[in-house]
Amino acid sequence: MMFATTRRRATAVLAAGTVPFLLLTACSSPSTDSGSGATAGGEVRMLVNLTDNLTQDYWNKLVKPFEDKTGIDVKIEGPTGKSVAETFPTQLAAGTAPDVIQSLFPDQQTAPELVDLSGEGWVKDTPMADTYAMEGKNYVVGVGSQAQSLVYYNKSAFAAAGITKTPETWDEFNETLQKLKTAGFTPLQSAGQFMTGLQLQQLWHPTLNIEHPKWQSSVTDESLTVGQAYQPMFEKYSKWIEDGYIAKDAVGLDPSAADANFIGGKVGMYPLGSWFVATLVKAGNLPFEVGVFSPPVDKGQDYPGPQGATMATPYMVYQGSKNLDASKQLVQYLVTDETAIKTQLTADGGFRAGYDVQTSDAGKDVQKIVDSAPSLVSVGQGAGDNQLPVAGFNPRFTQVAQSLFTGASPQDAANSIDQWVKENR
Amino acid sequence: MTTETRTSRAELSPKPPTKTKRSNKAKTRAVLTEFSMVAPAVLVYVGLLVVPVLFAFYYSLTDYNGFPSQTPKFVGFKNFERIFESADVKGTMVLTGIVAAVGSLLVNFAALGMALLLQKTNRFNTFGRVVMFYPHVLSMLVVGFLWAAILGPQGAVNTLREVLGQGDLPFLSDPLWALWTMVGVIVWAQFGVQLVLYLAGLQTIPAELLEAARIDGANKWQLFRSVTWPALGPTATVAIITSGISLLKTYDVVVSLTGGGPAGSTKTLAYEILSVSFPERRIGLASAESVLLIIAAAILAFTVLALRKKADEGAESV
Repeated sequence: MMFATTRRRATAVLAAGTVPFLLLTACSSPSTDSGSGATAGGEVRMLVNLTDNLTQDYWNKLVKPFEDKTGIDVKIEGPTGKSVAETFPTQLAAGTAPDVIQSLFPDQQTAPELVDLSGEGWVKDTPMADTYAMEGKNYVVGVGSQAQSLVYYNKSAFAAAGITKTPETWDEFNETLQKLKTAGFTPLQSAGQFMTGLQLQQLWHPTLNIEHPKWQSSVTDESLTVGQAYQPMFEKYSKWIEDGYIAKDAVGLDPSAADANFIGGKVGMYPLGSWFVATLVKAGNLPFEVGVFSPPVDKGQDYPGPQGATMATPYMVYQGSKNLDASKQLVQYLVTDETAIKTQLTADGGFRAGYDVQTSDAGKDVQKIVDSAPSLVSVGQGAGDNQLPVAGFNPRFTQVAQSLFTGASPQDAANSIDQWVKENR
Repeated sequence: MTTETRTSRAELSPKPPTKTKRSNKAKTRAVLTEFSMVAPAVLVYVGLLVVPVLFAFYYSLTDYNGFPSQTPKFVGFKNFERIFESADVKGTMVLTGIVAAVGSLLVNFAALGMALLLQKTNRFNTFGRVVMFYPHVLSMLVVGFLWAAILGPQGAVNTLREVLGQGDLPFLSDPLWALWTMVGVIVWAQFGVQLVLYLAGLQTIPAELLEAARIDGANKWQLFRSVTWPALGPTATVAIITSGISLLKTYDVVVSLTGGGPAGSTKTLAYEILSVSFPERRIGLASAESVLLIIAAAILAFTVLALRKKADEGAESV
């Protein structure tokens, strides 16, 4: 009897303890230790993405001259989740948002939480300020621009496969893949996680933007669906997997392992953004020469097509910051100070008119591609007023792109992304 | 007899009125003292646990996007309807259930087996216990990265197989393989805690009971089935509930081992909440998903406890 009572009590205690604990764990937001704003002494909290290139030490060194000059203490904070994109909304909800946010772009939902910087004189001269403006308001400023639609290739592999010219049409691209496979190279390197969807988009930007300029707006006004926009590329990609041009198990590969494969010389072509230049420079002397070209377009279209581009190292200021002036000063420093600009462009493969920081051959080639592109177009989710009507496009697109590796047909993939847009718009 | 005697004594000698007053005051003081001792703990519990839960319930009924400038709008059960209409989220819930059920079973099976092997105290077993508990000390993120390096397409195992002229095994690149790889990694990392619980449980079984069963001619299996396992009942209940709840919340190993892939095949509900709904700023939806997770955990806990109670009652009636 006593045991039964004890057990009943234990049940109640266990339930009472378990239920809230679980919710807290599932629903709680990561905590930060410095509250919601800067202190009276002039502290600015900056949330940044930490990567192989952009380490905590890199960020501390970048802001050190600013701290010395102004006496403002800059507290660098890495994401408490997987990324800044995941961390910032959580911190906002918890009331612990940082003063400055790096690496994110504004959208209709976040814009009211951000400071409109269009009144600041220094903003209009920053790269891509107009592209990212929303109804004329600048909620984000950047250091430079990053080219998104690039295919890095191994010149030695091309020579060994008897390829004398980089492909300009999809037919030529298919031929190149086939020759590289015959020569014993991995024709096209892919990887899992974010990279699967990213690469597929990067390859398709030029063709897609010739056929449907500002396709994100077309999806918003419902004259086009994402499935319609991407199905031709899903078909190409699916065929490449089937033909063994892309390794089927690449979907389980870590992106840094994919980088290593290319650097190791096993790979023929590797689609990636201009930030890969920094990785190549870091890798030092390679046993082969690296070339870069703009992805192909359909027969009859002008080559090269529009170049996908994003603002490099973007910064936004949180409206609720208790130290707005210091936060604006920090952002102004980061996007206008010559040394800070050079450091950031070099670290993450960025480009900016008047700054010749890319000294490597690959970097120079990327600069040429950017210069010769008929236009720079926004990618993925879109930018400024040209945006998709849904949030979280890139992760979802990656899931759909990965389904091509696991047996989904191009039609299934197109339907799946359309269904998601329909459910979430 | 004793009670009767006490009662009659109390009736025969009533306390003087002044003494009763004092006694009442003392009782009140005692209650206040007890209350003041319990109050801080109750306040902390309510503030840190109950209030956030209530907030989550509240947000689950709104369209809140988490932004301070937005006032949450009441939408009723729309978020829940949306969850059950979305094939993707339903798939995620099913997968979470599979991970929790199968994982919990395997964790407990492994832990109990190892506990039986390591229950005798000697140097080797002490070392064995430390080795078995060691994975639990590591962060699940580290565990995920570690196993990704071992089981990835270019990991240690597949590299070795390549050297031996064998084909690759798609541990992380095939949806089904990736799911069971993830469950296996979770079991490896978590069974250490359950092992400790079972070891503690085994220590509480009276040696005389085991000895008596042996004298009665019970073999090892009979000894386990009729003596050890029933005696381990309360321990097993706690072990199954804690491991099940822990597995329902599987998140960090998904991040580091599979990233939810390939093609969302290892996306658990906790991952959906923290890596999809939150970044997409659907706090209302994320809260509704959390509420469902709580309900699942509660169902799990109460079901196991009810089964345990039934089993105990059955045993008592025999």
